[in-house]
Amino acid sequence: MFTFLLTDIFFYIIIISLIMYVAYVRKTPDILANWLYVFRSRTGILSIVVLSFFIITAFLDSIHIKNKIYNNNTKQYVYTSEIKSFLDIILSPMHENYEKSYSAPFSSHLYSKETVNFNNIDKREYPRLLYKGNHNKYSNNKIENIAVISLFSIIKSFFICFLIYMIIFYRTIFKKNNNFLNAFNNNNVLCTSFFIIFFIIILLYDLSTQYYVLGTDKVGVDVLYKSIKSIRTGILIGTLTTIVMLPFAIFLGIFAGYIGGFVDDIIQYIYTTLNSIPSVLLIASAILMLQVYMANNPHEFENIYERADLRLFFLCMILGLTSWTGLCRLLRGESMKLKEVEYVQASQTFGLNKFSIIVRHIIPNIMHIVIITVVLDFSALVLAEAVLSYVNIGVDPTTYSWGNMINAARLEMSREPIVWWSIFSAFLFMFILVLFANLFSDVVRDAFDPRANKKYE
Amino acid sequence: MTQEQIKNMNDLLSIKNLFLSIDSENQEEILKDVSFDIKESEIVSLIGESGSGKSLTALSIIRLLEKSCKIKKGKIYFLNKDILSIEEKEMREIRKNDISMIFQEPMRSLNPVMNIYDQLKEAYIDIKISNIKQEIINNLISVGIEDAKRVINLYPHQLSGGMKQRVMIAMAIACKPKLLIADEPTTSLDVTIQKQVLDLLLELKDKLNMAILFITHDLAVASQISDRIVVMQNGEVVENSHAKKFFTNPENSYSKTLLNSSLYLRKTTNIENQDDKNILCIKNLKVYFPERDNLFGRNKSYVKAVDDISILIKSGTTHAIVGESGSGKTTIAKAIMGLVSPTSGNIEILNKDIISMGKSDKRDFRKYYQMIFQDPFSSLNPRMRIGAIIKEGLCFLKPELSNSITNEILRDVLDKVGLKHNSLNKYPHQFSGGQRQRIAIARVLVLEPKLLICDEPTSSLDVTVQKQVLDLLIDIQNKTKISYLFISHDIKLISSISETMSVMYKGKIVESGKTSDIINHTQNEYTRKLLKSVPQIA
Repeated sequence: MFTFLLTDIFFYIIIISLIMYVAYVRKTPDILANWLYVFRSRTGILSIVVLSFFIITAFLDSIHIKNKIYNNNTKQYVYTSEIKSFLDIILSPMHENYEKSYSAPFSSHLYSKETVNFNNIDKREYPRLLYKGNHNKYSNNKIENIAVISLFSIIKSFFICFLIYMIIFYRTIFKKNNNFLNAFNNNNVLCTSFFIIFFIIILLYDLSTQYYVLGTDKVGVDVLYKSIKSIRTGILIGTLTTIVMLPFAIFLGIFAGYIGGFVDDIIQYIYTTLNSIPSVLLIASAILMLQVYMANNPHEFENIYERADLRLFFLCMILGLTSWTGLCRLLRGESMKLKEVEYVQASQTFGLNKFSIIVRHIIPNIMHIVIITVVLDFSALVLAEAVLSYVNIGVDPTTYSWGNMINAARLEMSREPIVWWSIFSAFLFMFILVLFANLFSDVVRDAFDPRANKKYE
Repeated sequence: MTQEQIKNMNDLLSIKNLFLSIDSENQEEILKDVSFDIKESEIVSLIGESGSGKSLTALSIIRLLEKSCKIKKGKIYFLNKDILSIEEKEMREIRKNDISMIFQEPMRSLNPVMNIYDQLKEAYIDIKISNIKQEIINNLISVGIEDAKRVINLYPHQLSGGMKQRVMIAMAIACKPKLLIADEPTTSLDVTIQKQVLDLLLELKDKLNMAILFITHDLAVASQISDRIVVMQNGEVVENSHAKKFFTNPENSYSKTLLNSSLYLRKTTNIENQDDKNILCIKNLKVYFPERDNLFGRNKSYVKAVDDISILIKSGTTHAIVGESGSGKTTIAKAIMGLVSPTSGNIEILNKDIISMGKSDKRDFRKYYQMIFQDPFSSLNPRMRIGAIIKEGLCFLKPELSNSITNEILRDVLDKVGLKHNSLNKYPHQFSGGQRQRIAIARVLVLEPKLLICDEPTSSLDVTVQKQVLDLLIDIQNKTKISYLFISHDIKLISSISETMSVMYKGKIVESGKTSDIINHTQNEYTRKLLKSVPQIA
């Protein structure tokens, strides 16, 4: 049976509004032309492909189901309290069994020595891993085995890409003048990036059936699995917080700057007051309040997942409420500047009202600031999550997140020899997400700026 | 020594076949085969419109080009030394001792957080003088700053534009250079100050025996001071001749166009469409701005931007307001358009008081009076297509029009201002300054106004383009009996296009009347000074 967590619903809303926007764009030739520029540029198409894989992962991780089991005592089917997402089901070979403790990437033994009883003699040695790392399917040599697996995944991904390409090709033959697909079709980068990403995914999947590609953590969970599960948390914190923050920043900023006077004073007082409270304290108090509420009202929460989810949602809200001031101040200044620009004055002489001027002249001319800030904030929010987890006011410790992984890595880094793969994989995934979000926003900003010297790369 | 080098002996600077291009995809050549010489203590004017490569030539001489500019070919000899091939260290010595430069914008050329003394001291970095302070004071006195002792302790914002330019000149001549490069040094200054600066440069040239490379777009200014004229067009030198010969009998056809555009004369001086209807009548208009709020939000003092002025414009005529920057010309325009609210006074358009008019009445009435702004680069929203820009006023002031009629009007107005129909789907940045000003004119013309306020509509344009825009405005007036309120700082230009005029000084009108009367026999001291300062082509 499907269950819906609070953040799931918001995630669906984001996806649905994205789809509605695409439908709207396809009807508006002006905006479509700008987006086609994004699709034609190499960086644009590459970052779209990478980001969409991240979003698909997060989406799969947002469809939650409960399993039905047969209860022998009551003689009827009941739902388990455990909630699984589609992603869990797909990744089940990665997390059905747990090792005992740390093991390095591709290792066949644990990372630390243990006393093992062997023929009644106690020996200190590195115990073998229980589930993976020792069943070399194709060859006894580990490197040869990995090479064979890679070869297979190249063939598989090539086959999948060929199929996709055939589908696109087939559609363009029969549906002429389909700009959207023509843009794809002209672009070898699309096929190449699809190929590379499919290759990486299939390779990781195949390797994971036999190895821990990024090692295991303290309680023996596959680190790769943890990192993939963290994608949803990262994207949710990035997008949900931004969505909470943007209306405040844009509308209050423009009103303060454009209308000025009394309105400006009030808005300035609000954001200086908000800014003067250290945001960590504000977040801490909000999260503590929530914890107290959850402790007093345990009956409202069916299971641990709902509690963790509510905390994530609450974190996004409070982060959004504390982080709009910076952008708001920027937009206030910019609107004050734009107010005096002659094209705004020219439309005042036409008798346009304030609202029309804001919509027609101010907002289009501040959008580049919004895009840049939102992307920078997106990265900052993913990082802020890590900082907040460090002081225990971030997401729930049971939630998979890069912040929690980095937090745990504190102790791992102080071991001798150090356990590096946990922080490494959190860093790797965050880096990829933030990098491509930045590249994407660069291309989008260029596409929507008529002054930019547009050339098709 | 080759033949060529011997020939160069008496030249201070000689540029030989300079080619320069900017690093971009198409490797566009900005300078093509530029060569000219400057002799000792000679003033050479480099004339050309924007984009002709004047400034890049100057920057190549002093070797301060941006990295993307590459000199492809050519030599620049300064005192028989090829300065394009010497080390940067040696070049720095030359900049320190022999070549100085002053820039167009004195506001931005001085560091706002340093006082004048500290800034000037930088120019004396290598000069060993025991009493630097005295030397600086003497230097400032020599550029015409009498109370130099007080001025050296001031900061740039406390000085006027002309004073700042004098300080810049003082810095430039501190090292007693052999060559001074002046890049449009008077363009941003008022005419009276412009004259002072030009006189100063002439005086300094004789005193210090230095050569000046004077870059300007203004032929009249060039004719005032130069010995020789070099005309550039699209990166090429099209004429290089003595000043006298150039202004009497230019060889090149482009030079002739330039000269004709500068000697602007109205084509039809007498228009019959003049009748006795009042279009605009301003009575005792005052616009005061509060200077500074005190602690309790009350203000005590005011800046009197416009102080008790009255103007009357008859239908079908052009009234000009002339004055220096800060005299309140633009404030009048803004008060009429409702962009600033007047402190007191009446503004009547077509005999209706627009200050007391209700909001909805005013909205209907707005189509009768419109405004063109000074800078066509900032008066068009860069993110809107031309079609949307022109349509904006129509949509809001004449919402009853159907789509097809609107499109008809748009095409019509583009024909009127001489733009192509396919411009509608383009963005402003795809047009040149003159074309943009045409778009701005089209935007207000679609409303068929009776009064058009032109706030320095040509001052940011090149002379040839200026002429085209003015011709267009006059053409429209002849066809539609529109009235203009023409605001300008250029008394020469005003004299050729307006029937009546007012001279403004510090918020007040000092003289008002028929243009021909004022130009030919003015009674007022200030107007006389203004007229005298206007550079005339000799």
